[in-house]
Amino acid sequence: MDSGPMSVDSSTLDPPAPPKNTTDEPKYGGHSRFELELEFVQSLANPLYLNYLASRKFLTNPAFVAYLDYLQYWTRPPYLKYLTHPTASLKMLQLLQKEKFRQDIMSPDLAQAMMVEGVKAAVEWHREP
Amino acid sequence: MEKDLDGRFERLEKALNNMIDSVVKNNPSEQLAEELVAAQDDVMAGLKLLETHQNNYARIQQLRREVSRYDDQIKDIINSLWQMRKELVAVTATPPGGSKYQFTTEELLTFARQISRKTLPLPGVLNSYLDANTARPAEPESQTAQTPNTSFNFGLSNASIGTPGPMSASTPNTAANDTTTQQTSQLPPSQPYTKPPTTEEKLPAHLKPAVNPLLEASFQPWPTAEQIRSGALADIQRLVDKGIDPKNYDPAEEERKRVAEEQAKKEAEEQARREREEAERRMREERERMARERERARQMEAVASGAGGRGAERRDSVAVGMGRAANKPKQFTFLGADDDDEDDEDD
Repeated sequence: MDSGPMSVDSSTLDPPAPPKNTTDEPKYGGHSRFELELEFVQSLANPLYLNYLASRKFLTNPAFVAYLDYLQYWTRPPYLKYLTHPTASLKMLQLLQKEKFRQDIMSPDLAQAMMVEGVKAAVEWHREP
Repeated sequence: MEKDLDGRFERLEKALNNMIDSVVKNNPSEQLAEELVAAQDDVMAGLKLLETHQNNYARIQQLRREVSRYDDQIKDIINSLWQMRKELVAVTATPPGGSKYQFTTEELLTFARQISRKTLPLPGVLNSYLDANTARPAEPESQTAQTPNTSFNFGLSNASIGTPGPMSASTPNTAANDTTTQQTSQLPPSQPYTKPPTTEEKLPAHLKPAVNPLLEASFQPWPTAEQIRSGALADIQRLVDKGIDPKNYDPAEEERKRVAEEQAKKEAEEQARREREEAERRMREERERMARERERARQMEAVASGAGGRGAERRDSVAVGMGRAANKPKQFTFLGADDDDEDDEDD
């Protein structure tokens, strides 16, 4: 991906319609906007991906930050139910709204720590009484 | 009640005294005796009444006790209710005005089914994690812990090269994995028959995945790097790398179009070939027809001229010979016919 200026003018966009009448919608590389944005929001759950985005200077791009803000529609129905990693995706999306986190995730150490913590939490949350 | 009883006792006493007096004076009176009996009956009735009274009183006492017990109970309940209410008010569960969404049970169950595999590792993975956790705490991350900065590069240059990045966080884990694999592979040469194999049965490493599909399985509570790399966004990135604007570009659609075009082209060629063949066939038929007509005309002519002189016969034979010669190379058919006509005119 290029780290140049983004062409996504998310401010004027409404969230895409949930998948039911996607026949006449413009497709991007054969995928609808709903699919792409769902995939992206899910991918944000991966700390290494965030670190990658940060290292490519995406997270300091105002357009990209606006896009992250726009993506918050995934916290609401009817979109919410399509997330397969809801906890991690939404937490990351929430964190990404903060500038400090967007800067901090540049550090591979933080990404690594988040991975360790994430896996640990996922394995151990159900073991608690 | 007491006064009533006292009265009755006094009456009995008086009757008794009167009776005694009369007996002492040796002048018993029947009237006094009857009075005494009546007084005694009266006292007995009074005592009966007293018994009832006492029973009632005991009952009243018992009821009072019950009432006070129930009063205490009610007080306790009210007290605990009040406490409960205070606790409930003190608890700040969800901030008021927080988002509350309507959903049906079915939706909830569908969602739960959808996310269950992604939020909790399968038992095999879980056990291996827990085993590894005691020995090597960060084992599950080892598979994805390579070089955060480069692991998501989509480009061809990076895809082919497993760049060992500047980050060395993964090296202990991968090194640990390597040592285990090396151990298994180096075990036979290093200890050849010196130590008899124990009864413990060990599968060769290459057979292990066959019996345990979860052997190499890992769990991460988020999409893995491989999943992200093979996703739609990566597809688009590849399109962009090829210089194609992904908007309104559908690879499947393009492929379909391409196939359709090829098909149409093939069909057009086929059509052209068929038409060409048809034209050739028609041309051939036309030539044959003309040849047959010419033959017939010549025969008719021969018949019409009757048993003519030798010249005629000779000419016929020549003409026939020419006709035969003309039939072989087809492009000279018309010339031959022309010649015949001229010959006819000359005659």
